[in-house]
Amino acid sequence: MRDRLTLSMRASHLLALVLVTAALALAAIGAASGDTFYLRLGTEALIFAGLALSVDLLLGYSGALSLGQALYFGIGAYVSALTLLKVPSFWLAMAAAGGATLIASIVGGLIANRVRGVYFALITFGLAQVVAKVVYNTRELGASDGMIGIPVIEIGFGPVSVSAGNPVGFFLVVLAIIMGLYGITAYLLDTPFGRVLTALKANEKRVPFLGYSVWRARMFSYVLAGLIAGLSGALYPMLRGFVSPELMFFVTSGNAVISVILGGVGTLIGAIYGSVLLVLLKSIIGSWTEHHLIVIGLIFMVCVMFLPKGLVGFIRPRIEQRLLAGAQKPAAPSFAPARLEAGSAKP
Amino acid sequence: MKTTGYLTVAAGLLAATALTDGALAQSGPIKIGVVTPLSGTYTPIGQQVRWGLELAAKEINAGGGIAGRQVSLVFEDEEANPAVAVQKAEKLFQVEKVDFLTGTVNSGSTLAVAQLAERNAKLAATTVSFADSITTDKCSPNMFRVNARAEQQSVALAAWLAKEKPKAKVYYLGPDYEMGRSTVAAFKSSAEKSGAPTGGEVFAPLDSKDYTQYFGQIRASRPQVLYTSVAGNDTVRLLTQLQDFGLLTNLQVVGASGTVTSQNIGAIGQAAEGFATGVGYSPQIDTPENKAFVAAFRAANKADPDLYGADSYGLLFAYKAAVEKAGSTETDKVREALRGLSWQTPQGAKTIRAGDHQAMQPMYVVRVAKGKFDIIDKVDADKAIGPDACTRF
Repeated sequence: MRDRLTLSMRASHLLALVLVTAALALAAIGAASGDTFYLRLGTEALIFAGLALSVDLLLGYSGALSLGQALYFGIGAYVSALTLLKVPSFWLAMAAAGGATLIASIVGGLIANRVRGVYFALITFGLAQVVAKVVYNTRELGASDGMIGIPVIEIGFGPVSVSAGNPVGFFLVVLAIIMGLYGITAYLLDTPFGRVLTALKANEKRVPFLGYSVWRARMFSYVLAGLIAGLSGALYPMLRGFVSPELMFFVTSGNAVISVILGGVGTLIGAIYGSVLLVLLKSIIGSWTEHHLIVIGLIFMVCVMFLPKGLVGFIRPRIEQRLLAGAQKPAAPSFAPARLEAGSAKP
Repeated sequence: MKTTGYLTVAAGLLAATALTDGALAQSGPIKIGVVTPLSGTYTPIGQQVRWGLELAAKEINAGGGIAGRQVSLVFEDEEANPAVAVQKAEKLFQVEKVDFLTGTVNSGSTLAVAQLAERNAKLAATTVSFADSITTDKCSPNMFRVNARAEQQSVALAAWLAKEKPKAKVYYLGPDYEMGRSTVAAFKSSAEKSGAPTGGEVFAPLDSKDYTQYFGQIRASRPQVLYTSVAGNDTVRLLTQLQDFGLLTNLQVVGASGTVTSQNIGAIGQAAEGFATGVGYSPQIDTPENKAFVAAFRAANKADPDLYGADSYGLLFAYKAAVEKAGSTETDKVREALRGLSWQTPQGAKTIRAGDHQAMQPMYVVRVAKGKFDIIDKVDADKAIGPDACTRF
């Protein structure tokens, strides 16, 4: 008997492959036509997809809604910006941003993981607001103006190097990093640790009886999510050349949650699809009407009403069915695969 | 493969558009991109920017356009968020191929867009952001500012104060956040330069309900002038409480331009009487140019222009003058033409200082009388501008 979580993960990987293929096609068209805007918009969508991925790791697996994930995204962005202003090195900036968000998310996790449910959402929201206000009022960090003048860097991979100012090159670098983060997360969720997280969402009170530490699992997933958000955030100043306190505001956290719900909670790849979709929609509808927030709000409502499991949550069961049919050709599946998502798995 | 076929077609179409754009560039309309808040808290400001620009574009097009070419405006929503502003500005530069960009309100957006304009070799201007940094330590060769910056407002007010109440002792009360502290520091340095001693300063938290706790120290220092940069409902509470405690007698209250506005003046009521501030524009400016502008603005939009509308209106005429002087829309030529340019606006003649791209303009001191702002003094452009602190170019 095939494992349900493994099966849905395989379906997600297939969708990830489709996304990467589409992204490579976009890169090829972009390079051929000399386009800059759409490639850089795509890069931005992928960077925010990293933030959405971290929200989905918390919301979709351990069931903790974070309304302040932009905190770690912003810390990553600011630390990366500060590093790049001193030393224009990609690897140093990523290491510094990773280190800083690691420490910040351990501190944040110690505070936020004392509570559950709606209180967790409020604490994460509050933490992000407090730090954002401190940054907003600190002149050394540019205060409300943010920091500009972050140089366009060369990203060295051994003998070859890519300029962050090259739209195709940087798009591919960001694609590789975000898909790498997706791969690591997906791998971890497929280990016994991932099962503990899923169990936490299903019935937290029973987990200790099975001999697992609830606190340790929650803490680990929180820190991992913080790290993913921070590493994604570190890419932002390389793309746009500035950071501003708005990156830590609730708009950024809120957009990440919307991306996850659009794409499908608990599907990982859905977060990335959702983010790409949201950035694209905002750009297209924003140019078309100034009432873009109403249009996006309506799309969001329609999506929640008719696709409650998000886009990927709607497509994935069909892929799972195919995969299952391919694996055991003669025997028809004896259970309804539509209820098999990791995110909603009930014991 | 079928998909590859589509891809080739798509790529071909993109290339074709790029070619036609190049061919049209010298004969088609001049495109001006506007990234300004069309949704959210700053919508009223974005609305004024839009009205001002649309009125100017209509008048310019009716008069034959810029160097014979019509002007078209392309709007995008800034959402008062630099991350959004930069993305939208890049779209206007790269996809719409605009010749010039304006509209940013948030000072952080203006700074970030300045950097983007540099990287795209295009020019941009702000008509709203007043943070000094835009034309001082973070100045950019590709960014211009045609509105008055914070320092011009405080220099003008301090110049009037020195004339009206020479050597008066000033007490400062600001909101306790970065902007509040920097506005107080800016006015304090202007006032001290013109010889006004400082009685003391205090910073109250944003959204304070009770200002009476500070009244003891204000009274103890016996100031003749109180400077404040609180805004919105904070001003309502501060001024009404000052009045209740009888502290407004023999005290001149002055403040930042956002302290008393049309939004809160009604709620402040009697306590607002006599409040004075420095501004770059007032609809009451008594010149034929301004009267014509206000009448046209009212006819088009059924609302009075404020400083954002007037500054945005004036900008298009500066760009028109510069393009006609340069004989082209090329970045380097237009930049040279804008440097040192003098042109007429509803507020009077403005001159762009070549050293920091800041417009010099006459400043006005306005005072509340019977619930309305009256112009009581005019400070000449060169007296209000302050030193050129831009070192990049």
